Amino acid sequence: MTSHTTLHRTISFTPDAKLAPPENSSMSSTTKTGRRRRSSSIIYQEPPETVEQISDQAVNPNLNSQWVNAKGAWTIHPVIIIGLKIFFDIIPGVTQEISWTLTNITYMTGSYLMFHWVRGVPFEFNAGAYDHLNMWEQIDNGDQYTPAKKFLLTVPIVLFLLSTHYTHYDLTYFIINFLALMAVVIPKLPLAHRMRFAPFSGAPPDD
Amino acid sequence: MATTSNLTTASDVLSTHIFSILNSVSEQFHKLPGSAIFLRYVKSSYQNDPVRSAVELFLVLFAIRYLLARSYSTKPGKVRLTEEEIDDLVDEWQPEPLVGKNTIFEDADLEKRAVIVGPTGPKCRLQTGRTVTNLASYNFYNLVSNEQLKERAIQTLRTYGVGPCGPPGFYGTQDVHMKIEADIAAFLGTTACIIYAQAFSAASSVIPAFSKRGDIIVADKAVNYSIRKGLQISRSQVRWYEHGDMADLERVLARVQKEQAAKKQLTRRFIVTEGLFENTGDMVDLPKIIELKLKYKFRLILDESWSFGVLGRTGRGVTEHQHVDAAEVDMIIGSMAGPLTAAGGFCAGSDEVVEHQRLSAAAYTFSAALPAMSAVTASETLTMLQTQPDMITSLRENTRVMWQQLDPRSDWMTCTSVPENPIMMMVFKADVINSKRLSLEDQTLLIQDIVDECLAQGVLVTRAKALSAAASGAKSDVYTHRPALKICLTNGLSKKEVEKAGTTVRHAITKIVTKKK
Repeated sequence: MTSHTTLHRTISFTPDAKLAPPENSSMSSTTKTGRRRRSSSIIYQEPPETVEQISDQAVNPNLNSQWVNAKGAWTIHPVIIIGLKIFFDIIPGVTQEISWTLTNITYMTGSYLMFHWVRGVPFEFNAGAYDHLNMWEQIDNGDQYTPAKKFLLTVPIVLFLLSTHYTHYDLTYFIINFLALMAVVIPKLPLAHRMRFAPFSGAPPDD
Repeated sequence: MATTSNLTTASDVLSTHIFSILNSVSEQFHKLPGSAIFLRYVKSSYQNDPVRSAVELFLVLFAIRYLLARSYSTKPGKVRLTEEEIDDLVDEWQPEPLVGKNTIFEDADLEKRAVIVGPTGPKCRLQTGRTVTNLASYNFYNLVSNEQLKERAIQTLRTYGVGPCGPPGFYGTQDVHMKIEADIAAFLGTTACIIYAQAFSAASSVIPAFSKRGDIIVADKAVNYSIRKGLQISRSQVRWYEHGDMADLERVLARVQKEQAAKKQLTRRFIVTEGLFENTGDMVDLPKIIELKLKYKFRLILDESWSFGVLGRTGRGVTEHQHVDAAEVDMIIGSMAGPLTAAGGFCAGSDEVVEHQRLSAAAYTFSAALPAMSAVTASETLTMLQTQPDMITSLRENTRVMWQQLDPRSDWMTCTSVPENPIMMMVFKADVINSKRLSLEDQTLLIQDIVDECLAQGVLVTRAKALSAAASGAKSDVYTHRPALKICLTNGLSKKEVEKAGTTVRHAITKIVTKKK
């Protein structure tokens, strides 16, 4: 048995994990936003939006998240995966197993950054109403189990199964691929909706 | 013996039954195309590693379960109602009236309100037929009856028509707009200026054009309604400081700076205040604010709606009055509708400030441009201010005369405006409020009585009216307006008339206050 202590990461997903005592020194004492944020807790739930934010969100359709339902947004995922695989195959000295694993890791990292790390909207059209939501939570207005979300969850799982097949079920590669898959699947679960874990979330754009 | 044999027979029957079901299922499965390949694959992938296979199987089942799950919404408050519940609710619904019923106070107010017939002026004619001295209109230089301005306005109306029929960015800009913008910029001493069609919407669209969600605004507690709306629309964090209190302002600025340094943030930061405050009439301490702004690295938005055209030797506003360079103030918002008796508002600043507003100020982009007649009137008034400085001095003289009659000589009320402000806001003195235990409503009623008494004596004054904080959309009462009597001085009255009017007001105050025990 190979020792995989070096690959162990202490990922705790239980909400009862040790909570740092909330510090009130960085609370915003404003009359306009009314958000209560504990910036030093390890895990917290995003508070629901204020009236102003809801009305700002309703002004325009959210162009940042609408495109996942548009034409071609689903086929681009296999296209990207095939492109990555070809790219990694071209590099000399890379075996099939490594190239599948690299494809897997690259795709998972890219989709994690895009859907779960970055928050807000890159355009300036709704006065920052979505500043605290990452893209996964913005898709389809926060509804769960929509077709787009089902597709986006299935693709990493299928990619993972493919990569375990092509790495001949070797344990090391399996662990690597499995951890990459977990990093992408766990934030997509409905119970992780609007939950923020301190090391895994990017900084919010303000306060 | 017979029972045990029955039991074994029963279990035998059950097991054979189960086996037969399984056989038929596997037969059906083998009939499917590709099933042999699938079984071979599963067998070869097992590889003597049950944990891993279990994990993969769990993943596949999880994916299938996710794919089959029903979509639901996470927005709070979505309730599904049955048809009967919907019908019941619809039957029970009573429409609310568009306008609520008037209170008794509002009814009385409406009845007693004076209606002016014909043009307004220093002496105006009421609907009741009387001619009264008008100290309630914003007619500082008596330009409403200026014949030259009227001629010019009618001439412009005949040339340009009534309105530009479009927003300024979409064929609504005319040469008169560019002329008034250049005139105001040159007059104030800034680089550029932009014109808004309505003075009220100038402040409420300049502030959101620059300050967005996440930025910090430090505002005086007594700012007017238009600025409050701008602060609300901008969605920025607003910190308030006590009205006119520079030490409190410094404290708030230092706190903001400390918080931002701790979080290593650098957002846009603004100080918002007015030149002459609409609610209290007093003046800002501009050199001190400039000093603080430079020290703590804030930008300054100054609303000169009531001080442009009034303060300073030539009417350039609070920057001239307190000897501050207008380029030090980042944005000067002003009104051409008050002292200049034209219409519209403006914002003056550097080139970048003005150019940015041409695309992102809401009232400039999405509202019709200023009518040419108003723009020309504003230009003419500005020229008059520059060529006839005795207009300003005679207004100050009238204000001084009125002060003499009212402020030190009245036992009951004092004036919170500065002496240069032609709008005098008279409030009850603190000891009077305490000794008579007057609540805010009592004070309002008393002042309304004073207004009525003055009208009976032939002087038209008015009461300062303000929306409550709840109506303006604020979450809490940051500032409570003191009920005040508002007297607007004008050049159109001679000193004797002003003296007489002042005496009338003073006697009316004394009469009403001493009558109510």
